[in-house]
Amino acid sequence: MTTLTFPLSRIEGHAQVVIEVEDGDVKSAHFKAMELRGFAHFLKDQPADQMPVIVTRICGVCSTAHHVASVKALEDAYGVEPPPLAKKIRELMMLGQMLQNQATSLFIFTMPDRLGLSIIFQEEVSQEVAKEKQGIAGRALKVRKAGTDLITLAGGQFIHPVKAVVGGVTSGIPKDDAAAMKKQLEDALPMARELFDFYWKSSETLHDRIGTWGDDRPACYIAATGKTKPDYYGDRMRLLIPDNENIIDFQSRDFRKHLDFEETDYSYSAMTTYKGNALRANSLARINIADSMGTPLADEYLSIFREIHGNPANGILLFDIARGIELVYSIERSIELLGEDLENGEPAVPHTETDGEGFGLVEAPRGPLVHRYKIKDGLIEDIEFIIPTVHNVHSIELALMTAAKRYISKEKVDMELERAVGRVVRAFDPCIACATH
Amino acid sequence: MEKFAVLQLSGCAGCEVSLLNADAWVDKYQLVYMPLVISASGVPEVDILLVSGGVRTDEDLHNLKRSVKKANKVVAVGTCAISGGVTNLGNREEVRNFFMNQSEQRDLPRLLADCRPIADFVKVERYLPGCPPTPELFMAVLFDPPDFKAGNSVCVECNRKKDKTMKPKRLSGHLHGNVQPGICLINQGFLCIGTSTRGGCGALCTNPGQPCVGCRGPSNAFIEKESDAWFASIKKVFSKMTEIPEPEIDSALRSAQMAMFLYQFIDYAGDNPNVPSKKEIL
Ligand code: SF4
Ligand code: SF4
Ligand code: SF4
Repeated sequence: MTTLTFPLSRIEGHAQVVIEVEDGDVKSAHFKAMELRGFAHFLKDQPADQMPVIVTRICGVCSTAHHVASVKALEDAYGVEPPPLAKKIRELMMLGQMLQNQATSLFIFTMPDRLGLSIIFQEEVSQEVAKEKQGIAGRALKVRKAGTDLITLAGGQFIHPVKAVVGGVTSGIPKDDAAAMKKQLEDALPMARELFDFYWKSSETLHDRIGTWGDDRPACYIAATGKTKPDYYGDRMRLLIPDNENIIDFQSRDFRKHLDFEETDYSYSAMTTYKGNALRANSLARINIADSMGTPLADEYLSIFREIHGNPANGILLFDIARGIELVYSIERSIELLGEDLENGEPAVPHTETDGEGFGLVEAPRGPLVHRYKIKDGLIEDIEFIIPTVHNVHSIELALMTAAKRYISKEKVDMELERAVGRVVRAFDPCIACATH
Repeated sequence: MEKFAVLQLSGCAGCEVSLLNADAWVDKYQLVYMPLVISASGVPEVDILLVSGGVRTDEDLHNLKRSVKKANKVVAVGTCAISGGVTNLGNREEVRNFFMNQSEQRDLPRLLADCRPIADFVKVERYLPGCPPTPELFMAVLFDPPDFKAGNSVCVECNRKKDKTMKPKRLSGHLHGNVQPGICLINQGFLCIGTSTRGGCGALCTNPGQPCVGCRGPSNAFIEKESDAWFASIKKVFSKMTEIPEPEIDSALRSAQMAMFLYQFIDYAGDNPNVPSKKEIL
């Protein structure tokens, strides 16, 4: 038996892929999460009302999602409904998060795979590549920065937001600040489109070179986004099952009725299944589940995408293209929202803290995120984080298996395998800090 | 071009994301290692090594020891690398036992009993506290720009004003809406410890209406002292500015949200603490 180990970079956190081969036969492909900080354990017996500040430290890449999910879980437990203004501002926070994350994944994590580089910043490269990549890093950072600035404006802090509070948000957004942000996004939009167009084109080139979009078997998709158009604020979990005409939807508090969780001895992350089937979450799941994007430019991209790849689309590398559509959507939708009145109206309603159990659901960049808090005497009695990356672990391994079989034969291991492993994992944009928490 | 590397141990990657929000380094420093953005097999020789995250696993320890050998200067960035950060909340017997059991069951990096500051194991030249430090602070630690000046405390950088006429009788809970603009959060009954927290973040949280939880750690007035000195002083602030009963303040000051601040004190740091001197902290 030969064991091939691939350390991973350009993803969040510490993970490895281990592939076992016997006589040219691929025996297994494992995705190993190598770290564990233990939030679900050390947060027991801590004051429940402090969770929105502490849980953001689970992940600096998607802390906005944790912040909002946390506040929603407390509101669910206390029985509070935030006012419309607060919901709008929280939606903006989630859009900022989506924008920042998709820009990072597309242009910092996966663009180098399209250009044959190890990084998009300074590096000695051939004249030809240097010409192609000119200006990518600078523009990518600008687009990303627009997302960060939006999180800061709506969320109050740039990495670990603070503005969502039980009952609403601490304050609205003054008109002038909203207008300045709107302007910044309007400037970022053409830049984002150019980068995405280039990205899409170089993905086609990659596809032509390797001859595949990756594992494209029909799969179950899961998301907490809207049915008719995206909504990252999250209302219900939705499951798209192959050969089933209908999308199953259920409340986050019923997740255990539909999803099974399994621990393994080779990873600090668990994995989710639905009736024994692997699940796929993240961009492609959302694109497959929603009827439309609901904004003009994103809808244009979506119709081109569907014309080529159908609906549902299944190729692994299409997760990356779907991310680009969402990038455009997030900017367009934020521009819309920033044009509305975000200054006047109640930012929050009063509440009374009670004991009980609460579920907070949002659609994070990597998929549906649930926080479940059981509160007794104001303290956390039991706490659970249902992490989007965990839904994808099984599918990551299946796709790795497909890639391994493609590049491993009795005679040799094709050099392309290492690159394929990176591409497959990055298409799912896993977050190990979250998955293991 | 000077070279720098970023070694990420067990943390949340927020420190790295913050660094990516700055772009002033792009023309001046060459980033040669940072797994989040570059594929490279290990830390090469560098002028500056930034280390984020705490030492949680035996693999963290191995990577840390191997990497510092390649660096001229080691900087501990973020609360996790400096003190272990929020994971210190797991510094309890039942949680420690849980971690030890995990390792026995799995073929994975072994978990240490708790998350340790990097200075417990290697020599650190400079400390950059914050959870995370702002991009400006990252630039300051890389370039030492002469015009960079951090306020002595968060209060100095905060645009809220104290109001002698407002004396709250109770703490108003950690979070609630309807924060009044321009008025000090303590006057509104919040547990804000900006008075004793190291400045430099630009009062990132307090300006929009969220109390400071002290992620930048104790200010120079307190950093070389034990936590008792700080408890006494901050309680005095609250007794002067509010009518909140002392026991209420006391228990809130020791609650979970203060972990990022408290564990930066010598006496919270465990055995053989390696606590930085004022001069080494930015
Ligand atoms: S210091 Fe804060 S931002 Fe940095 S890694 Fe630790 S938790 Fe994340
Ligand atoms: S709100 Fe906090 S940081 Fe601002 S002045 Fe008051 S105590 Fe200082
Ligand atoms: S205001 Fe306090 S908690 Fe917020 S970033 Fe500054 S030091 Fe940290």
